Amino acid sequence: MSTPTQAPVSTDYFAVFSLPRKLWIEMNALEQKFLQLSWKLHPDNFVNAGDAEREASLRRSSELNDAYRTLRDPMDRVEYLLGLEGARREGEQKQQAPPELLEEVFELNESLDELREAKAEGGDLAVLRARLESAEKNFQHQLEQVDGELFATAKQWDATVDAEASGANVHGEREAAKSRLNELLNRRSYIRNLVVNVQKELL
Amino acid sequence: MSRIVGIDLGTTNSLVAYIDAQTKEPKCIPGPYGSTLCPSVVSLDADGSIVVGEAARRRLLTQPERTIYSVKRLMGRGAADVQDELKLFPFRIDPNSRNVIRVQLGDTYFTPPEISAFILRELKSWAEAFLGECVARAVVTVPAYFNDAQRQATKDAGKIAGLEIVRLVNEPTAAALAYGLHEKQRGHVAVYDLGGGTFDISVLKLISTSDGDIYQVLATNGDTHLGGDDIDNLLQALVRESIRKEHGVEISGKPELAQELRKALIAAKHQLSAAAQADIRFPLPNGAIFAMPFSREHFDNLIRPIVDRTMGPVKAALADAHLAPSEIEEVVLVGGTTRTPLIRSTVEEFFGRKPHTELNPDEVVALGAAVQANILERGVSNMLLLDVTPLSLGIETYGGAVSKIIPRNATIPASAQEQYTTGVDNQTGIDIHVLQGERELAKDCRSLARFTLKTAPAPAGLPRIDVKFLIDANGILQVSAKDLRTGEEHSIEVQPSYGIDDTEIERMLEESIEYAEQDFAERQLIEARTESEAILSATEKALGNPQGAELPPEERAAIEASVATLRESVTGSDYKLIRRRIDELNRATERLAELLMNSAVQSALEGRKLAEV
Repeated sequence: MSTPTQAPVSTDYFAVFSLPRKLWIEMNALEQKFLQLSWKLHPDNFVNAGDAEREASLRRSSELNDAYRTLRDPMDRVEYLLGLEGARREGEQKQQAPPELLEEVFELNESLDELREAKAEGGDLAVLRARLESAEKNFQHQLEQVDGELFATAKQWDATVDAEASGANVHGEREAAKSRLNELLNRRSYIRNLVVNVQKELL
Repeated sequence: MSRIVGIDLGTTNSLVAYIDAQTKEPKCIPGPYGSTLCPSVVSLDADGSIVVGEAARRRLLTQPERTIYSVKRLMGRGAADVQDELKLFPFRIDPNSRNVIRVQLGDTYFTPPEISAFILRELKSWAEAFLGECVARAVVTVPAYFNDAQRQATKDAGKIAGLEIVRLVNEPTAAALAYGLHEKQRGHVAVYDLGGGTFDISVLKLISTSDGDIYQVLATNGDTHLGGDDIDNLLQALVRESIRKEHGVEISGKPELAQELRKALIAAKHQLSAAAQADIRFPLPNGAIFAMPFSREHFDNLIRPIVDRTMGPVKAALADAHLAPSEIEEVVLVGGTTRTPLIRSTVEEFFGRKPHTELNPDEVVALGAAVQANILERGVSNMLLLDVTPLSLGIETYGGAVSKIIPRNATIPASAQEQYTTGVDNQTGIDIHVLQGERELAKDCRSLARFTLKTAPAPAGLPRIDVKFLIDANGILQVSAKDLRTGEEHSIEVQPSYGIDDTEIERMLEESIEYAEQDFAERQLIEARTESEAILSATEKALGNPQGAELPPEERAAIEASVATLRESVTGSDYKLIRRRIDELNRATERLAELLMNSAVQSALEGRKLAEV
């Protein structure tokens, strides 16, 4: 088996909806536009058409659906934007622990091991469970913090897009926002994985 | 363009529907027995001809080893997948079957798509007889939770039957279309579809726009091996055990008896949908009669695990649609099994509202298929259906893990692109393994296809190949590749893991045409035999009448000789000979018919044949 290298970007999903590359999207307007384009592009309209038209409908409607699916989800949207801007590579989210989290992660893994052991040997689970539940709460809280920071940085990014549109040179801010977004996204997916793992053990 | 009909290719029954030109409403087409339901049963006659539908269903009792039902359970599955089914269903599988199963009827083997093709061909003939025109295109419904291989197998069945399947539509979505048209529903709708062998739950959003109505599927879930058949099997197990205990009679290993019992238990099950109590009575070969009173309560307790099994997918679909049960404005019940009171009450309780059952649950999917067929036929419409893929599409990565590239419930058509390169110098091929499913390891997902990307020898990491995975509007995978260095488009030979290749389909198509000719002969024979029965009994009756006694002895002898030759020809299978003998007897009885008519209402009946008097 071979691993994919880089996610190839062939279309600009923002352009599909005639949107600037901004992270704040009005969801109702996005949905309306999606439905409107679906009427035009869906393969159902081209069953009796020639091969070329059918092919084009299939390509364009799948592109529309891919674009809508990606932009509708806030996290997918950030990740996609970064890919489009050349700031992110596929597989990057499989990161090592952020240094400031190392200690907590170490403790968490220890608790998880103990719980698995206790489960296998029929030991007392109540204390371990309680410890893991409080760890989960802690990481959930950190997740909320990351989301808050992501939201703020997304606003900064959007501001650079607006500024650029009005002719300002904001190259520095732009690059800074991108690399901060990238960092936050990695941190988020790392913590998210931790939470999922803990939840699996607690089930 | 030519007409497109809608077909529900069901586990237990199949139907074909069209849009009535006057009323613009979808309608199901009746078959020769007057019913719109064609039992999904196929039987191979000793003379090599194929019998489908009601006639085949009757043969389940007399020739079970030449007859097959519920073949939909085997579509798109490999021999290893169906071991569980084999414990419960009397399928006789070719022991040499591997990725495509072959089932034995008499001494011949057929693949499940070939058997489904016989059913499609039968429905095609119903539609042609009813509409008086050639029918070559159809929309065919499949369970929403069917995977790629099962969908591909259904499309193959269409090809073998000589029917172009212009679109596969998910059954619950089709039902929503039929209901939407009927009830003018809006908002969030849940469709709970429990058929003979499959369970689907779909959550839709019905949206009115200035262009027309949009039916957007938000999420779907299900179990392609859960249905009324499972209820029948539970009943069977229970009753077989009682028969063994009380009478020392073993049912298993006796196909005829097993089918008789299955029929009796299905009747009891149907009875319990309306009554609080059913009496199971079953004559045993030793002359004893097995009798068991069976209450609704007992039945409910028996089937509760099955009903509970449907609720997992229901909750999962709602979670994927980000909706709570209370946010569902309408609930629709589809599939014959939803007539079961316990299912109705469970669904009603869960959603907190009374489910819709206005449309016939057996017909509603076919009606919806006809609506979609009409949309496709016209090309422009004031209705649009946006459906989803039920399962995530993934590719195997190092270590047997799966990387998801198109998530479940993505609106289709949907695509994903991946770029590949080589890991070692001068590597000439990159192996790709495509899978479907929600599990994290490749071995737990469904293998869809394996193929090799060819590259020219080059240092590791230099080749760049873009691969595009596309799920089309039928929910079927297409793969294409492009070498970024050379700009060359690769045509990828995707060998489906559980499919039949195109040359096989060609061969099956040819064979099925041969069967179609036999089918025609078979039908002619049945009609000729029925007609001769009518004239023979009429003749006998007439000869016994007082008027018959007036007949000159030599004419009487001639008639009796004609009767004897006709009787003899009926035992053979030459329908042309039977027709000739019928004509002869008709001529021989002309005088007798005249005598009869003279004594009856002479004027009105003149010139008619004896069998018509």
